[in-house]
This record gives sequence, structure tokens and C-alpha cells, in this order.
Amino acid sequence: MRAMPIRVLIVDDHPEFRAVARELLEEAGYVVSGEAAGAVEAIAAAAAQAPDVVLLDVVLPDGNGFDVAAHLSRDPSGPAVVMVSSREAEDYGRRVAGCGAAGFVSKSRLSAATLASVLA
Amino acid sequence: MISRATLVSPSARSLLRDPVLVLPLSVAAGLGLGWEGRRTGVPASLVAVDVALSWGLVAASVIASGRARWRRPRLLLALAGMLVLAGDLEWCGSAGLWTVGLVLQLVWLAVIVQLMLTFPDGRSWSRLAVITIAAGYLAALVGGLASALVSTDSRDALSILSSQSAEDTIGRIRAGLGFAVLLSTIGLVVWRLASSRGATRRAQAPLLIGAVLAFPLTMVWLGHQALTGQDPSTVLTAASSALIGLIPLGFVTAIGWSRLRRTQASDLVVELRTAGERTLRDRLSRALGDPTLQLAYRLDDGRYVDESGRPAVLPERPGRAVTLLSAGDEVLAALVHDPVLLDEPALVESVRATAGLVLENERLAAEVRAQLAEVRASRARLVAAGDEERRRIERDLHDGAQQRLVAVCVTLGMAAGRADPALADMLRRAQDDLEEALGELRALARGIHPTLLQEEGLDAALEALARRVPLPVSIEGSAGSRLTPAIELAAYFLTTEALTNTVKHAGASSAMVCLERSNGKLKVTVSDDGVGGAELAPSGGLSGLRDRVEALDGTLSVQSSQAGGTTVSAELPCGS
Repeated sequence: MRAMPIRVLIVDDHPEFRAVARELLEEAGYVVSGEAAGAVEAIAAAAAQAPDVVLLDVVLPDGNGFDVAAHLSRDPSGPAVVMVSSREAEDYGRRVAGCGAAGFVSKSRLSAATLASVLA
Repeated sequence: MISRATLVSPSARSLLRDPVLVLPLSVAAGLGLGWEGRRTGVPASLVAVDVALSWGLVAASVIASGRARWRRPRLLLALAGMLVLAGDLEWCGSAGLWTVGLVLQLVWLAVIVQLMLTFPDGRSWSRLAVITIAAGYLAALVGGLASALVSTDSRDALSILSSQSAEDTIGRIRAGLGFAVLLSTIGLVVWRLASSRGATRRAQAPLLIGAVLAFPLTMVWLGHQALTGQDPSTVLTAASSALIGLIPLGFVTAIGWSRLRRTQASDLVVELRTAGERTLRDRLSRALGDPTLQLAYRLDDGRYVDESGRPAVLPERPGRAVTLLSAGDEVLAALVHDPVLLDEPALVESVRATAGLVLENERLAAEVRAQLAEVRASRARLVAAGDEERRRIERDLHDGAQQRLVAVCVTLGMAAGRADPALADMLRRAQDDLEEALGELRALARGIHPTLLQEEGLDAALEALARRVPLPVSIEGSAGSRLTPAIELAAYFLTTEALTNTVKHAGASSAMVCLERSNGKLKVTVSDDGVGGAELAPSGGLSGLRDRVEALDGTLSVQSSQAGGTTVSAELPCGS
């Protein structure tokens, strides 16, 4: 266990998912550094909050989550990115592996355990 | 098409309207001058040649009177004919007439040069042609006047400085300039002959060839005078004038040819009625001798279409002429052709009369083709609109129900974590059921409109599809670069349907998807090693796919034998 709690930025355009994700993360001992509803907002929030992890939805109203992940991954000291989607990884083909994210979690399977296994 | 008629003076126009009036005038003047020439001792050969040339030029003008577009050349022909005789006023005993003859001696030749270089519509061919024509008149008129001013001849009424050396110099300059004018004219005519094509060449060739053959001897005549300062021999003078007769002869030949061609065209027109392999346009094009000919059918709503039913626009630019083909008051079609054909109105008329018989059928066929093209376009639009609707439904599913259910699923998971074991077990079962339902919803959404296809293209979408099928599926080939959404969707849905059938009915051990893109077509083939016996049932899923494929001008086929194995393949035109 790390002494400092892991700080997570939640990026999703659906407020109901952000709310349930925040609850789940906080219950599991994570600290939610902030929330963002779009690609541009996500990049700005990541720069301002310097989170350890970004929980990143694939389909965003102003862009594509994979592009945001690729952008964030360019900085080696940047956050670990976990892609989430209500679709499955195979719906996105090679982009999942190619975007620089640490992993992909289908939204319906999101739990403290799945997140920890991706980040491990 | 009748240009510059306003430039012709009113009296000349009335003469042209009734060229018969020029004929007796020319005959009378020729006879009178001939008689006067013989009386004053002019050699008989010169008299005969000049009178014959004059009459020949006027006669050609009269013969060509049916040619509306040749109004201007006809005027110049008649004018040249009369000016040949005007130059021969030198044969008269009267000093005044002799002087007029001297001044006008070579003007007829300048008129012939103008005739050639402005043929057939009266417009100069080029800037060089304008310069050549102007130089011709300069040599003939100004040169003639200058000669008269310095002539040593006692009959000269204009002489103000009687000087043999000045007369020689002016004569030589004038002949030299005349030589250059004819050289330039021959050059321009040869260039015109070489650069014209089809109907234009056919219509103009006899006259142009006549000019090329006619001028060299006159150039020898002028060259001799320029170099020696002496009048050439009577034989050369007579022969060079006689050869100019090739020009009116060329005129008459051109007219004779078109009459001959009208007879040939009648035969070809008969062929029009016996529809062969070639299209009506091709047959009309051959009958009229115009390879550029276009045929546009008029639809009931006033639009024009070509034979394949594509929209056609009648040109309004110069350089193309339009002849309407009608039955009674109704316009059936329009011929768009080289304006040179307007020189052969009887030919066009004979073709028009016969074409009318087959035209109505052809027009109806073109109309059907136009309607077919519209139906095909609207079918493609319907498919595209349907696809857009599918995309929207998939998106709505993803943004709406799926998101809410996902949130519920996560919440159930959290609740299970907090609950006592018995309740937790129940909650986890509910979560599992919900996850399964979500999986089904995702599969449904994918079937409506696959996100991966839209994002990543056909190759990636088919690879993902092959992984989901509970059967080994190999993929060979590639779709290459991205295609239009309609083509990609058709290929994807075809593969999905074929593999679904394989899994459900074929009892196959493996399947193969083959993609091949060449010659502007994408070929998708799905084959299996199952029991075979598949067919394109009217209400089956493949039948709906055939409609989709055919809306894109593609073809779909199913090959399946009782011996085993089924192959479903589609060919889709994809532009590149």
C-alpha cells in the first residue's frame, strides 16, 4: 500500500456514470481529484490537477478518448490512463492497444478489483 | 449563323438575293469587252481566258445561291468576276476607261485572296489573314493608282509624272508585294486544310485545294514581273488566269459533293430504320459525317437526356449548332452538331425526315432509362438514409439506455460489497444478469451499426467479427484504403449475414472471408465447408442484402451445392 492515496480524474460526458464512479472510487480508498465532461476539459484538468490515474471514456462530445489518451501518454511522468466504455474493447479494435493507455475496462465491470488489476 | 449580313451594301444585297441579275450583266460586259479587245488587237487567248474566268466566277456565285452561310463568299465571287472585266477596260480605246482598267487591273486577285481567307462565314481566319488581305488590297489598289500616276502611256488620263523608271519601280514593288500576299495565302490555306477535321474539312477541301493549285502560276507571273520589271509573256498571263478558274471550280465541286453525299446519306438513312448494334447517335453521326454529333432526347417535362438517360444540356456557345427534330408540333430530340452541317440543309433535312420514324421509340427508351437512373439514385438515397438512421439509433442506445444500465450495474456491484452474504449473493446474481443483458444490447447495437466499422474501416471490423463467431474464420486479402460508408456497410452486413447462416445452418468446421479490391471493384467472398444447399430465399436475410448491394450497382450471388460448401459473394463498384 502507498502512503499517499491514489488521485483519479474522471472523464465522462454522462453525469450519472461520473457520480457512480466517484462513489465507487472513494469507497475503495481513491481520491477523486476532479471530473471532466469533454476532451479539451480533460486535458486542461489533467495538467492542472496532475492526477495519478485518468479514468477516460472513449466517446466524448468534443473528441475521441483515444486521442486524449495518446496526448496524456506522451508525458512519461504523466498519469496512467484507464479507458472505459459501455462498449467492449473489441468494438474498438487495435486502437485500444495503440493509444498508450494502461488498460481498458468495460463500464459495467468497473469495480475496485478490476481497476486495481489494470493498474497493477 | 448568317453573319455580317449588315456589312453588305443594300444594292449588293439585292443583287445577291437575285443573283440571276448579275449573270446577264456579266455576259453582256464580257461580250462587249471581248469584242472591244479583239478590235484593239488583244490576243484572242487573253480575251477568251479573262471572259471565261469572269463568267466562271459569276456562275459559281449563282450556283451557290442555295447556301445561306456562303452569302459572303458568293458576293466576293461575283465581285471578283466583275472586277476581272473591270481590269480589262484597258482593252478599250477610250483613255478614261483605259485608266480605270489600269487602276483596277489586279483588284480581282485581292478580292479572291479575301474570299479564301474569310471562307466560309466572312470572318478572317487569323490576324495574319487580316494582314495578308490588307496587303493584297494595298498592292492592287494603291499600286494600281501609283502606276497610273507615273505611267508613260499616252492613254493614261491620271499621269502627272510620266517616268519610265518610276513606273518600273512601282510595278516591281507591286508585283513583289503581290507575290508575298499569295505566298502567305497559300501557307494559310495549307494550314487550314491540315488543321480542319470532319465535316469542316469535307465542306471546304475542294475550294482550299483549288486555291493551293491555282495560285502558284500567278506567283510565277508576279515573280517574273518583280524580278525583270517586264510584263510576262501572253502565254504565261493567259495560263495563270486560266488556272485561277480552279477556285470557282472548287466552289462548284464542293456543292456537287454535298449533293452526291445526300444520295449516299439516303442509303445510310435507310440503315437508320434497320436498327443494328450501333446506337441511333452513331448512325446519325455517320449519315451526317459529323463525329462530334450529339443526340439529346427531350422528355415530357422539357429536360433533355442522352441515350443512356443522363441529363444533357443544349449548348449555346458558337461553334456548335442545334437542330431540333420534331414530329408535328412536338420536339422529340435535338441534334447538337458542327455548324458546317448547316451548309448542307437538304442533307440534314433528309436525315431529319427519316430519323423521325425511329426517334419516338428511341426517345421513349431514353426516357425509361432516365427514369431508371432516377429510381436507382433514389434507391441509393433510401439506403443511405436508412444507414444514417441506424447510426443515430446505435448512438441513442449508447448514450441513453446503455449508460443508465451500466450505472445500475456498477451500483449493484457496490451494494453487493456492502451487503450481508445472503443479500450480496442475490445482488451479484442480479448484476450478472444485467451484465448479460448489456452484452445482448451491445450485440444488438453492433448489428444496427458497428462503431468499429465507422471508426476503423472494413478490415478491422471484419477481424473483430471473425473473433466473435464461434467457429474458426480466416480472413484473406484486404479492403485497402477506406471506402464510402455505404460500401463498407454493405460488405460488413453481407459477411455478418453469411457467417450467421454458416453458424446456424451449415454445420461447418471453418469459414473463410476473402476481400479483393481491383479494377474499381471490391469483391467480398464468404465461403464455408458446411453441408451446402443454401439458396437466396425471397424473404431471407440474404435477399434483403441483395437489395442493398444492388442499390450500390453491385451484384450478389450464392453458390451452394447439395454436395457441400456454400459461397456467398458480392461485387461492389467502389470507384478506385
